[in-house]
Amino acid sequence: MTEPVLAARGVTKVFRQGKLEVPALRGVDLVVREGEFLALVGPSGSGKTTLLNLVGALDAPTAGELAVLGKRIASLSRTERAELRLRSLGFVFQAFNLVPVLTALENVEFVLELQGQGTERRARALAVLEDLGLGDLARRRPAELSGGQQQRVAVARAVAARPRLVLADEPTANLDGENAEILMHLMRDLRDRHGMTFLFSTHDPRVVAHAVRVVTLVDGRVARDEEKPEEAPHEILPGVGKPPEARG
Amino acid sequence: MSVEARYAVRSVTRNARRTALAVLGIGVGVALALFMESVNRGRDELFARVGATSGSGHVRVVPGGWRARRDVRMRLADPDGALAAARALPGVTAAAPRVRAQSLLAMGTHVVPVELVGVEAAAEARVYRFAGKVSPGRWLEPGERGAVVVGRAVAERLRSDLGDEIVATAVGRGGNIESLMLRIVGIVATGGDDTDLSVSHAALADVEALTGLPGAGEVALVLDDWRATAATRDRLALAVRGGDEVMTWGEINPEFEGHLAQDRATSRFVSGIVLLVVLLGVASAQLAAVLERRREFAVLSALGMRGWRMVRLVVQEAIALGLAGGALGLALGLPAVLRIASRGLDFRSFMGQSYSFQGVVFEPILFGDVGLWIVPYALAVSVGATVAASLYPAWFAARTDPASALRVAQ
Repeated sequence: MTEPVLAARGVTKVFRQGKLEVPALRGVDLVVREGEFLALVGPSGSGKTTLLNLVGALDAPTAGELAVLGKRIASLSRTERAELRLRSLGFVFQAFNLVPVLTALENVEFVLELQGQGTERRARALAVLEDLGLGDLARRRPAELSGGQQQRVAVARAVAARPRLVLADEPTANLDGENAEILMHLMRDLRDRHGMTFLFSTHDPRVVAHAVRVVTLVDGRVARDEEKPEEAPHEILPGVGKPPEARG
Repeated sequence: MSVEARYAVRSVTRNARRTALAVLGIGVGVALALFMESVNRGRDELFARVGATSGSGHVRVVPGGWRARRDVRMRLADPDGALAAARALPGVTAAAPRVRAQSLLAMGTHVVPVELVGVEAAAEARVYRFAGKVSPGRWLEPGERGAVVVGRAVAERLRSDLGDEIVATAVGRGGNIESLMLRIVGIVATGGDDTDLSVSHAALADVEALTGLPGAGEVALVLDDWRATAATRDRLALAVRGGDEVMTWGEINPEFEGHLAQDRATSRFVSGIVLLVVLLGVASAQLAAVLERRREFAVLSALGMRGWRMVRLVVQEAIALGLAGGALGLALGLPAVLRIASRGLDFRSFMGQSYSFQGVVFEPILFGDVGLWIVPYALAVSVGATVAASLYPAWFAARTDPASALRVAQ
């Protein structure tokens, strides 16, 4: 059996606010394997974002064991965490968080530049945008795009470098139903075609419906962990996600 | 151009009003610094030119050991060789041999102690600025013997006038008192009594005869560009022989040089204060910009951007700001610099027609310096100040904790 993408055992995270200690995670046990499409659900304050931040090496657990792609987060230096994020993880945020002064293409290209890719990075960034149906919008800045388009650019940025694990924190929270649906299909499609693992937090029951595995957090603990039978994906945007020669 | 560089340049334009104010502040600071530097350089040139042409020369060949003893009876080991070597160097306007003697000038019962300077008339006229300001009378003729040009204060103390004959007395070789009759052919009003008293110039051969010591005691050089002073000294030092040494005007007149250095330091200190104020303003604006973009830096960190790259990003923004500020500084400062370079700063209304320092008379009009130096200077000052101002905000950006910044943003 392959090594899990994520292995958490007794992961605890406590935030200090002055003299007050606020526990956000109280011993989370979770194993995620390559290619899973996993939704983290639970009420506000249940610890979803905190767990995503820990998995994303943005923060370190207070106690417990957390290994991402075989690396123990607590033992990584600041530089090693940055390297892990750059090479192996992709992030999609609730508020899109694109760089406003860069075009859609530049936002995607920037991540490849950070990785040290050479002149081929522009063509690769454009190919990813085209893959997500954004080729015509590549030269636009975020302010010139709708929320749904911005979030698709954010997904393109997250997956451009082909990370093994993509983390998405409430990716559909600022989208209407139609755009949320499109986004989920795109992420499913990327996972199906490239084998990436997706871990996303959500409140949205329509989004949960797309997940293959649903983990429910309550009060910082895993309250439920259920797997669902996979549905065959259907085309939501004409041509999107298909290789160019297969597009009508 | 990399995406990072485009990102940096465009970030500068995000808050147009703040950027405009920062650029204006930098521009004004750079313009002031340019003006001060122009005045500094102009004053350096003035001091060097006036000091050099008032007697010391930009560079002077002196006898070995003269540096410590400063004895006018010392003579060059190879005066002809030193003169030839000096005249052969590029950038030398003129070189003139001299001999000096501590003398008493007397007419009737009136006596004035002076340093009588023996010169070659034609060569000296090219290195000594008062040779062209003789009135009444004239400068020495080439080959003329028994003639002297004196300062007005000397003539007044001797109660003498043009055409009068005076006696020069000095200690000759072996300690004998020697005398020489000289006729006043010209009187120079330098503008200062101290400087007037330094003017008593006769033929080099006359002073050699008076002292009984043959040969020149020094060779004074005036250069096309005073900034080549040290380099010329070094080159000439390799050419002179017999133990003769080469000194700059600053080494000959250390008090004069010290005063100049003090003036320079004072005005650079004032420029530094102006730039520090600008720098703090820019640092404050950049820190505000970084704080506003805390979530953005958190996202960049989440994407895997390392701290040093964030520092570089902010520094690139500062460079863009600095280049804009430098360009504005040039636009604002250049007209002022050109004006003081062409018309000068005229202090005559409260300093009179001339003022004297360390026996050197100055016309109180200070011309600023202008040249190609102003472009790199403006850009270096501007970019240097903005980069320095950006270091703390850049460090702050690099230290952004992504988890807490994103948590706050949500």
